[in-house]
Amino acid sequence: MFVARRMKKTIVTVPPSASLLEAQGRMRGYNIRQVPVVSEDGTLLGIVSDRDIRAAVLPAGLVPGFTAEEAEKFMKSTPVERVMTRKVITATLNDTLEDAIVLLHDFRVNALPVVDAAGKIAGIITRTDVLEAFIEALGVGEVSSRLEVVVPDRPGTLAQLAAIIGSFHVNITSVLTTRHVEEGKRANFFRVATLNIGPIRKAIEEGGFEILDPTRLTFP
Amino acid sequence: MRRLAWVYHPDYLLHSPPFEHPESPERLVAITEHLERAGLIPRMVPVTPDYPEDADVLSVHDREYLNKVEDACRRGDLTLDSEDTYLNRHSYNIALLSAGGAIAGAKAVAEGTVDRAFCAVRPPGHHAGRGVGMGFCLLNNTAIAARYLQSRHGVGKVLIVDWDVHHGNGTQNIFLEDPTVFFFSIHEHPTFLYPGTGRRWETGKGKGEGTTLNAPMAPGAGDAEYRATFEQMLEPAMERFRPEIVLISAGFDAHRDDPLADIQLTEEGFRFMTRHVNELADRFCGGKVVSILEGGYETLSLTSCIEIHVRELLGE
Repeated sequence: MFVARRMKKTIVTVPPSASLLEAQGRMRGYNIRQVPVVSEDGTLLGIVSDRDIRAAVLPAGLVPGFTAEEAEKFMKSTPVERVMTRKVITATLNDTLEDAIVLLHDFRVNALPVVDAAGKIAGIITRTDVLEAFIEALGVGEVSSRLEVVVPDRPGTLAQLAAIIGSFHVNITSVLTTRHVEEGKRANFFRVATLNIGPIRKAIEEGGFEILDPTRLTFP
Repeated sequence: MRRLAWVYHPDYLLHSPPFEHPESPERLVAITEHLERAGLIPRMVPVTPDYPEDADVLSVHDREYLNKVEDACRRGDLTLDSEDTYLNRHSYNIALLSAGGAIAGAKAVAEGTVDRAFCAVRPPGHHAGRGVGMGFCLLNNTAIAARYLQSRHGVGKVLIVDWDVHHGNGTQNIFLEDPTVFFFSIHEHPTFLYPGTGRRWETGKGKGEGTTLNAPMAPGAGDAEYRATFEQMLEPAMERFRPEIVLISAGFDAHRDDPLADIQLTEEGFRFMTRHVNELADRFCGGKVVSILEGGYETLSLTSCIEIHVRELLGE
C-alpha cells in the first residue's frame, strides 16, 4: 500500500512570511499539531509545529516584565521562517506505507509532508493516519471473534488454519502473524465473523494446533 | 416473596436450526423441565405472550428490515447473512413472539399484576440492531420492551442491565443517543470475544452521552471481579440515573462451563448479580424488574443458573 492512498490531500499550509500567531491560529482551527511551510508555487520550505512556537516564545517569557501583550506582539511580528524546521523529513509519492511507518518511528516525527518529484507538496501523512490503517487492518470494531493460534514455524500452517476456518463457512476479517516468544514457533491472530467460535477452536485443536487460552494471560 | 411472572410460549420451540447450532430449542426444553422438577413453575404467575403490535416492533426496527427477515423466511432461506443467524419458515413469527414475550413481561410488571417477570424467550435479541440481525438475534426483545414501556405505560426512564457474556451491541446502538434509556453492559473484553465492541470509552453519543456504560472484563474474570464491577459501576449509575424500571438482558454464558466464552462465573455469581439488581430496583424503582433471556449454551450451567435466578427473583 502506498502513502498516496493514505495521505491527506487537502493540506493546511502557511507561507514563510506568516506570523507565529497566524500559524498557531491555523493549527488550533484545524486541530493539528504542525503545518508545512510552502512557497507560493507549493515548494516545501519547512515545517513548523506547535512545539516550535512554544519553544520560540518561552525564552522571551523568561525576560523580567515580559507581559502577555508583549508575547502576542512577539508572535505577531515573528515570521514562521525564523523558527521552522528546514530539514524536513518527507515521504514521496512513491513511498509505501511501510516506508512512512519506519520514517515516523526512526526520526521520531509526528507527520511527514509528502512531496512530488518537483519537491512540491502533494499531501501529508501523520501518525494518526497510520494508526487508522492499523485499526482497519486489525479489524478492530468489526463484528467478529478473535482466535490466537500458536503454530510451528514452517510453511503451510497458515493455509491449514485458513482451510479449517473456511470449512465452517466463516469469513476471516483480519490475519496477523508474528514471532512467538517460544523459539521455532509463530503466533497467528485471526478475526473471524462469527459468534460461534467454539467449534472452530475445537477443530483447530483437533488439527494439532495450540490455541492460546486467554484465561491464562497474566496481568501485572 | 414476590409475585413473579413466568412468560413462556410453546411456539418458541418452532425456531429451530437447520444445522448444528448452539442456540437451539433444547435450551428452553431443558429450562422448563428443570424449573418444573424444582417445583418452581407453579410458584410463578403464568403469562402467555401474544404477537406484538406493529407499532411496538417498529419503535425499534426499520420496516425494510422486518420485510427482509419475513421474505427470507418465506423463501426458505437457511440463514440471514451468515450462519450465525439461522432461519426456518417460522423464524420471523417466532422472533415477533419472542419480542411479544418481553412486552408481556414488561406489561405485567408495569400494570402491577406481578412484581417481577422472567421471560423465557428465544430467539435472543441483544445483538440485533435497528436494521440488522446478527449473533443468533433477529429482533431486539429488550429494546422493544423498553420502548413499549415508554409509549404505552408512560414510563420515562428505563435502565437495562445486560450481563450476557457478549457485548449487547444491538441494544447499545439503538439507545446510543437516547438519554432516557440507560444501557449497562458487562461482558468479556472485546479484544477477545464477539462482537468486538463495548470498550470502556463507549459511553453514548450526543444527548445520550453518559447513559451508556460498558464494563469489559478480562478473560478469566470470575465472581469476585463481577461483584466489584457491579458495586463500583452499576450502583452509582443507578443512583444518578434513577430509573423507573429495570430490564435485565439475562444471558447465562458467562458461566465457567459455557463453551462460547472465557469468563469464569459460578452459580454464586449469578445469584449475586440477580440479588444486587433486585436490591437496587427496590431502592430506586419500586422493585420493578423484568428479566429477558439472552444467551447461555451449556445445559447444566444454564438450567442451574436460571433456577437460582428465578429463586432470587421470587425473593425466597
